[in-house]
Amino acid sequence: MLKVLGFVKRNSKLSHDEYRAGHVGYHNSFGRRLNHIRGYLLNVASNTPVVNSLGKDLVHRLTRNEPEDFDNQWDGWGQLMFDTFEDYLAARSPARDFPGELGLQMDPMVGKLGDDLDELYAGTPFQFQVEEFISRPVVRPERKLFKLVQFGQRPVELPIELFRAYWTGRYASLASTMPGLRGLIINFRTPLDVMSKFFAPDAEGFTLAGIERRQDFYSLWDGMAEYWFDSEENYVRARSSKPFEPLYALEQKLFSRLFYREVDETVAVLPKRDPAPDFYHR
Amino acid sequence: MIPCPEWLLSDEELFKVFAFLKRNTDLLSHDDYRAAHVGYHCGQSRRLKDIRGYLVNIWSNTSLGIRLGTEWVDALNINAPEDFLQWWDGFPEVYFDNQEAWINAVMLEPTRATAEGLVIDPDWNLDDCPRIFDPVPDRPQEFKPCHLRMHEHVLLPVLRTERKAFKLMHFFKLKDVTGGKQTLVSDYASVVAKWHECQGCIVNFRDSDLDAAMRGFYPEESWGHSPAGQAHRAEFCDFFDGAIEYHFLSSEDFLNARRRDHEALYAIEQRIFSSCWYVEVDENLVVLPNRNPAPAFYFR
Repeated sequence: MLKVLGFVKRNSKLSHDEYRAGHVGYHNSFGRRLNHIRGYLLNVASNTPVVNSLGKDLVHRLTRNEPEDFDNQWDGWGQLMFDTFEDYLAARSPARDFPGELGLQMDPMVGKLGDDLDELYAGTPFQFQVEEFISRPVVRPERKLFKLVQFGQRPVELPIELFRAYWTGRYASLASTMPGLRGLIINFRTPLDVMSKFFAPDAEGFTLAGIERRQDFYSLWDGMAEYWFDSEENYVRARSSKPFEPLYALEQKLFSRLFYREVDETVAVLPKRDPAPDFYHR
Repeated sequence: MIPCPEWLLSDEELFKVFAFLKRNTDLLSHDDYRAAHVGYHCGQSRRLKDIRGYLVNIWSNTSLGIRLGTEWVDALNINAPEDFLQWWDGFPEVYFDNQEAWINAVMLEPTRATAEGLVIDPDWNLDDCPRIFDPVPDRPQEFKPCHLRMHEHVLLPVLRTERKAFKLMHFFKLKDVTGGKQTLVSDYASVVAKWHECQGCIVNFRDSDLDAAMRGFYPEESWGHSPAGQAHRAEFCDFFDGAIEYHFLSSEDFLNARRRDHEALYAIEQRIFSSCWYVEVDENLVVLPNRNPAPAFYFR
């Protein structure tokens, strides 16, 4: 599947919680209607810092070389999933799902994503494709999960192939056995251009300042692992227990930078990884 | 219908509504209706205030005879009604914390970012309803709602994987025998709860008050509260007293599970049901049900 993430910084007119309501409410209501979309999640930075949910001591032990201004660069990120790159590019077109006086009609507002990008965000989303490695397929119960994201950067001396192999191999094999884990997916950012034909040519993201802003953000991490747990206690207990001690030694070798954030996940379209049915389905 | 026993009605029970809806057949095919309901309409209704869960179930284009085999359909059904699917094309399943939240769901709240900041969306409305759903001939702004409060008993908590599930609704009408409901959530449930293939199972009993989800939600003068609307609801509700939701990864998984325990379950069904039958539905997840207390911020 094509999996695209778009990190966004809120418009300064909005508080973080107002941004939530605008993104989860109005904006997602259009995004979920994009043609042929196969999955759509929104992750909003939690109001609770990880030091509060995981504890100061544990976070101190887990973290390596955390960037100082990371949180000023984003408030949330959307995750779009499509079967193909062509579907992704074609998604920004009118959708035939509006009940008009004569039956089903096209709605051009879907292709414009509700036409609120300039009011919801400060600048263009940092949009990129990821290659994902599913260490444990996600299974969602009917309650809000604790979603933790681990941002990692490769040491310059470690070849990228080994970085990926070790993170998705020995590290994930052990991490995926943590009690209470509902899913573990590791994502690696790729250089595929998923912005040029998705955003308008005059978008801020294509200006020199916009490119620099995006590259600064990308320079802080190479991959991110998404963990879904029943509660934060599951992760705290696991990382404080003997069976998972070896993860610390692996982290020393694997990451030059490693830090964590909690996010609140909205499932706007439950990702479907099996073939699409031949009717409208979300 | 037999009233719902007190012990089934926990104080912590979410307010759950099944809203059976027939499409506007003059404007939409069944597949057009899917797109209009799940697409445009849910883009509006997922913003209902304080909604805690929202699924839209639409009857499958594939008959159960093809999916399970006619022998199995014959073996599973008891006095199945012939025209049940003529009454509806889909039914949303919505969850709210309580009846008050349900009644206040259409109160607008700011969810749209504009040059003036976050505002109430001036374009939000539910005017599309009579174009999607069965319109009332002499009331052009209205459609025929059949919103029913359901009391649920979770036998197996639902788990959703990242693929389309096989979801079956098992509608039933209880015989007028003592302990039918109790049998369903004890003897019957104890068998089903052992089905390792099952991704979730919820027994839903329809509230004996057919207006429980209509009162306060629709204006008193609306069609749903008129004699014709009440008669329509009563006639539809006469088909069933409740429905069991089954979530499986595939129809084979359902058959494998059912095959093991068919004899025992069928014996119970014959004892407590005057009729029962299955409908496969395509579940569209609009808001993942969140049975935890609501967080202190906008969340879907």
